[in-house]
Amino acid sequence: MTEEEIYERLNEVFQDVFDDDTIEVDDLTTADDIDDWDSLEHINLIAAVEEEFGIKFKMGEVSTMKDVGEMVDIILSRI
Amino acid sequence: MVFADLFFLYIFLPACLLFYFVGKNIKYKNAVLIVFSLVFYAWGEPAVVLLLILSTIVNWLLGLAIDKHREDKLGKLAVAGSLVYSLGMLVIFKYLGFIVENLNLILPIDIPVPNITLPIGISFYTFQIISYILDCYWDQVKVQKNYYKFLLFVSLFPQLIAGPIVRYSVIEQEIDNRKTTIADLSEGSCRFMIGLAKKVILANNLWSIVETFFGQDISALSVFGTWYTVVVYAMYVYFDFSGYSDMAIGLGRIFGFHFNENFNHPFICRNIAEFWQRWHISLGSFFRDYLLYVPIAGKRRKYLNLFLVWFSTGLWHGASWNYIIWGLYFGTFILIEQLVGKKRMKAIPTVVTHIYSKLIIIIGFGIFYFEDFSQLGNFFKNLIGANGNALSDTIAATSLVNNCFLIAASVLACFPVSQVVNKLVDKNSNTVAVGQALKVVYCLGLLVICTLLLVDATSNPFLYFRF
Repeated sequence: MTEEEIYERLNEVFQDVFDDDTIEVDDLTTADDIDDWDSLEHINLIAAVEEEFGIKFKMGEVSTMKDVGEMVDIILSRI
Repeated sequence: MVFADLFFLYIFLPACLLFYFVGKNIKYKNAVLIVFSLVFYAWGEPAVVLLLILSTIVNWLLGLAIDKHREDKLGKLAVAGSLVYSLGMLVIFKYLGFIVENLNLILPIDIPVPNITLPIGISFYTFQIISYILDCYWDQVKVQKNYYKFLLFVSLFPQLIAGPIVRYSVIEQEIDNRKTTIADLSEGSCRFMIGLAKKVILANNLWSIVETFFGQDISALSVFGTWYTVVVYAMYVYFDFSGYSDMAIGLGRIFGFHFNENFNHPFICRNIAEFWQRWHISLGSFFRDYLLYVPIAGKRRKYLNLFLVWFSTGLWHGASWNYIIWGLYFGTFILIEQLVGKKRMKAIPTVVTHIYSKLIIIIGFGIFYFEDFSQLGNFFKNLIGANGNALSDTIAATSLVNNCFLIAASVLACFPVSQVVNKLVDKNSNTVAVGQALKVVYCLGLLVICTLLLVDATSNPFLYFRF
């Protein structure tokens, strides 16, 4: 899977989780950019991303990832 | 030893500052801070300092092991060992009596309840150690190879006994490389004196009111008396705790450390989630970063994680069911707000959200206060007059009238007044110098008043003996 494809699929996951079709994520997107992305919604997001890509994040990764770019790096290293 | 104490203010602190600033070398300065921190902690209860030192040795060694065996099983084992040690210490020293009491209640046994004195500050420094170990394991900080620097991080007396819970990453650089500028010195001192004033002028006097009404059987207390006292109690806890945090942050600044903020005017919040982003921030962010994302399988994961965080938040505050209920009470409202959704919450008129959040918070403080369930039950009944109690009584009304200046000053101090004043002063360059001079006079004035009040202190409670 290329990075581009990952972003495409990730975008759908974000739109789905936050129920907002206008969301467009890139590597620099952070929780500050999406209104509903708080610490609790982060759990739902992580669960949805894990299901979409068939991977598991480590707890340390979930706690410390700073932007979508870091999330994509982890996904790339797992698939 | 505590900060709001004449011995600390006029002997311990000046001696510490003298030894600290007389030398230039950072190793010397760190040594001074370690020695004074250990003396500060050992004051009154010398034995518990050994437990603190043991905890730092064990976890420093485990930190080294984590760094060396990051990729293999030994690293994981070291993390597990550290968590078992830290949580084990908390269980033994803080929760054992509570656990045994409850076991005796549900099982047909009668184990003698151990009477263990809680080592002061153990909940704060243990959490600092846990955050260091997990940050090391998650590669967020470099392991500290020097034991004394690790000991300094854990034992640093400004934050040792009543927080904030300082993350290692916050002071990692400053342990080796810091200097106190004139701005640090003046802002740190002012911050300390403002914190001291919150504690000595406001909190101690508010506590006298709380004791008068809640310090006895409350079943006959009027509806007004109950509401009045619980509001006073909420302000008491806020000024006591945030005052301690101000003093810690101010002292840190004086020594060149920049700790994170711990309170951000919590009572101006519009909902419960926001309250917890403004109240005891270092504890909330600890649970968010180190507990909220514990992997739990299943579709209900979010709710189980939320439950775990708020159960733990309650339990952290003390080994008693009322604290657990208090934590879960807040967790429930956060869940409700989550289900309502941010957009709909925003659409509710501000007046309504302010009334809703203040009501929930103030009633929450009642749950926090009453460890005894029959008293807590009376408290709830009293709030709505279901106890057959009067609507008002002259003693409570007289107390409000007599303390009207204290209450008015306290309510005012819940708002970000100083920020507004600072903004006004900074706008005009002519007033900056005058503003600075006035601030110094104001802070020194506060120190004089606090000293006079401490000389004559009849009420100077220490809130943190259960933390």
